[in-house]
Amino acid sequence: MFPTPIQKASGPTRLAYQIALPIALVIWLFPLIGVAVTSLRPASDLAAGNYFGVPSSIAFENYAAVFRDSPIGWYILNSFKVTIPTVIGAVGLSCLTGFALAVYGFRANLWVFFAFVAGNFIPFQILMVPVRDLTLKAGLYDSTLGLVLFHVAFQTGFCTLFMRNFIKGMPFALIESARVEGVSEWQIFRHIVLPLMRPAIAALSVLVFTFVWNDYFWATVLVQGQHAMPVTAGLYALNGQWVAAWHLVSAGSIVAALPPVLMFFLMQRHFIAGLTLGATKG
Amino acid sequence: MAEVSLSNVKKDFGAISIIKGIDLEIKDGEFCVFVGPSGCGKSTLLRMIAGLEDITQGALRIGGRDMTKIGPSDRGVAMVFQSYALYPHMTVAENIGFGLRMTGHDKAEIAKRTTAAAKMLQLEPLLDRKPGQLSGGQRQRVAIGRAIVRNPEVFLFDEPLSNLDASLRVQMRGEISRLHQDLGATMIYVTHDQVEAMTMADKIVVLSAGRIEQVGSPLELYHRPKNLFVAGFIGSPKMNFIPVEARPHNGGIEVTLPGGTLLQLAGTLAAAGKMTLGLRPEHATATGAGDAVLPTKVQLAEHLGSETLFFVSLADGSEIAVKADGLAPQRPGGAMQIGFPARACHLFDAAGNAVLNGDLTR
Amino acid sequence: MPTNSQPAGFWKRNQMKIAPYVFLAPGALMFLIYVLIPIVQSIWISFQDWDGLGPKTWVGLANYVELLDDDTFYVALKNNLLWLGLYLLAIPMGLAAALFLNQNVWGIRLYKSLFFFPFVISQVVVGLMFTWFYAPDFGLFSQAIKWLTGSEVAILADERYVTYGIIAAGLWPQTAYCMILYLTGLNNLNAEQIEAARMDNARGWRLLRHVILPQLAPATFIAMVVTVIGALRSFDLVSIMTAGGPYGSSQVLSYFMYEQALSEYGYRMGYGAAIAVVLFLIMMVFITLFIVRMIAQERNR
Repeated sequence: MFPTPIQKASGPTRLAYQIALPIALVIWLFPLIGVAVTSLRPASDLAAGNYFGVPSSIAFENYAAVFRDSPIGWYILNSFKVTIPTVIGAVGLSCLTGFALAVYGFRANLWVFFAFVAGNFIPFQILMVPVRDLTLKAGLYDSTLGLVLFHVAFQTGFCTLFMRNFIKGMPFALIESARVEGVSEWQIFRHIVLPLMRPAIAALSVLVFTFVWNDYFWATVLVQGQHAMPVTAGLYALNGQWVAAWHLVSAGSIVAALPPVLMFFLMQRHFIAGLTLGATKG
Repeated sequence: MAEVSLSNVKKDFGAISIIKGIDLEIKDGEFCVFVGPSGCGKSTLLRMIAGLEDITQGALRIGGRDMTKIGPSDRGVAMVFQSYALYPHMTVAENIGFGLRMTGHDKAEIAKRTTAAAKMLQLEPLLDRKPGQLSGGQRQRVAIGRAIVRNPEVFLFDEPLSNLDASLRVQMRGEISRLHQDLGATMIYVTHDQVEAMTMADKIVVLSAGRIEQVGSPLELYHRPKNLFVAGFIGSPKMNFIPVEARPHNGGIEVTLPGGTLLQLAGTLAAAGKMTLGLRPEHATATGAGDAVLPTKVQLAEHLGSETLFFVSLADGSEIAVKADGLAPQRPGGAMQIGFPARACHLFDAAGNAVLNGDLTR
Repeated sequence: MPTNSQPAGFWKRNQMKIAPYVFLAPGALMFLIYVLIPIVQSIWISFQDWDGLGPKTWVGLANYVELLDDDTFYVALKNNLLWLGLYLLAIPMGLAAALFLNQNVWGIRLYKSLFFFPFVISQVVVGLMFTWFYAPDFGLFSQAIKWLTGSEVAILADERYVTYGIIAAGLWPQTAYCMILYLTGLNNLNAEQIEAARMDNARGWRLLRHVILPQLAPATFIAMVVTVIGALRSFDLVSIMTAGGPYGSSQVLSYFMYEQALSEYGYRMGYGAAIAVVLFLIMMVFITLFIVRMIAQERNR
């Protein structure tokens, strides 16, 4: 283990470390803590110039106001309507593509794989004009479906990279053994590989959920009106309305950030496993 | 009837030739072992018979039918993998029945065959466990059970015992041999361990660098190796090779051993020249009895209790191994008289081919 | 094989050849339509004059020529380089955080999760948080500056500091990301190698430099890739915090493109596409390096 475990250090060093931990955390999360506190501060405090002191009262009212006076609830619903189908679509498609690229040695294999990988890293702007045009022509502009289709296609790149490497890590003899037993290729996928992909599916689902939930660029490019707007773009719009109403902006921010944060805490192990794929083996 | 026949079978990976033309007949019900050092192509050859690797050239027939281009599932073969390849998410019973289920057999039939296989392999109490809960030997049996239920005409084993510890390996060796007797099916077994080959095989195929070096029964290979490679590969500890001068003499062969000692061998030789004399450690005598006796010095003694293996140096400094009784008194540094019995000596020409086999069965 | 069961036989004999394409088709088709073809289309559009609705007019390289004369383009390019350079700080910062947190004390798992927090939050929210943080009069950061120097600075309204301010906001989640990569790397170190090095009397900085960092190379590589991509993709923060202002001083190529193609200044799709192509070419340099390394890796398998 590196650095040397703190347990081997002297008493004062250990104590210093234990004290340093929470201090470092508070400094690190300062912007977040500030926003969280502000979201619970009554408007009167801000008016009175009490920006940093102890709030005069805990104002859950801010959250009620956000939901009552703005369409943020609707925006969040839209975000779910975009995110959940995207997760299902992208993870589902990439199970298939990942399997194809991991198991078969056809001629174009590596090139198709590299296309998926490279596509994953390109700047969104190179896609913006044609994708917007395509969505308009398909009559899907300003709809959650338009966003879903794009996100599914784009996330399939990353997901394929992930799935392919995951399946490559399985013992190939499992597949060969089934082939000798007369099991068809589809049955191999369905009954052998798919059940063993569960951890990868979990990891990718959380990751894609977070990526898509937090997307802002495409939400502004492919959506215009309120009825299909996800919460990221919605929050930006509300920020324009709530000029200097920081208690509301803060409460709105916390609300918008909550679903991926909950997701992260619930599925932390999977999330990190997905994110750090490839970080340990060359 | 499931004899397996390969004629001029070749395999290339790109420009690299892995299998360089194999002709082989394996009889119905025979236990045939492919043995050779790692990289000799034995596993590739087995996988070509299974249909997991394409055959670049040549023909494969199983039970008289041409299988060269047929997919693995239609060859009537079952394979046991080195890693066992058990499906980790299925129970033992599901693992055994999986192939049958996928190929549309009805439930009663699957249950019947699974039970029968489990009984044969003493797996009955384990049927509901997952592979993760089994020991190495048990997993091995499940892998075999999965092969048995399909009633294949040919069983293929790819180094199935190499992941087991030594004592389990001996036990499983016996079980596979017994299975072969019970089922009477053709079995092809790949291993790099010549002890496995010797103990189990009806027929051993020694491979090296993509070619067959020799085919024969275990005792044939032991007593009549065709060349230096087979002589060195079969038998443990390894056969000693001693460089000698050989010439025709009095209707026999006379060889000059290191240090100048002469040894008369029966047999004929066309011309004199440098050759290699082969003598197994168990055939050299530590008591000094033999047709030629060499004075040597003991370098190292390995005491195994029942016997002692001495490594001794000859007059020219080269070392040979000699198997002696466990009570032999010699110690490292001491002198030892080593006897060479003429009828146990093999002679190989400069190209490595056997000129004379010291076949003790004759 | 009997030949009377020809239809079933055909699939059986050829399924190994056909199956990969069947499995690949749906995903590949989507990716083709929404990613690969649009790249080509964008390059095509960059040679046109187009408002997004009417007919396109071929103008050849005119868009690119205009770009070379556009001051905003140079500001954006300069800022992109600044982003690229400063964003890389996330890697050593992330390593430092990971080394700090790689201990086994009570509650450390929670600490690690909380340190990772900024990455999980949407960049829109991060942008809003930092806007509040930087706000003159009541922003905590401004107050701290005022307390330290006596004079107040409105970071986001000051042409000199605005880009640095946005980059700092971006470094917050990016450092968290690099930290988690390194934490995973540290978790998978070869313990025997470290013990051997300690027997050889290596410790502290030298142990880190000669034994630990080489083992962390895969993590460093991934951290580099995601950080470079992140820097060149920077859009959300610029859009949220300044919209490129004041006076275009915090422009980056991604936002500049968006503004040209879709903003109230008019729909200049061709010009926007030309900017996107430039950004794409810059990115391609890094993508190519990445792919070359991956090919080398695949060959070694």
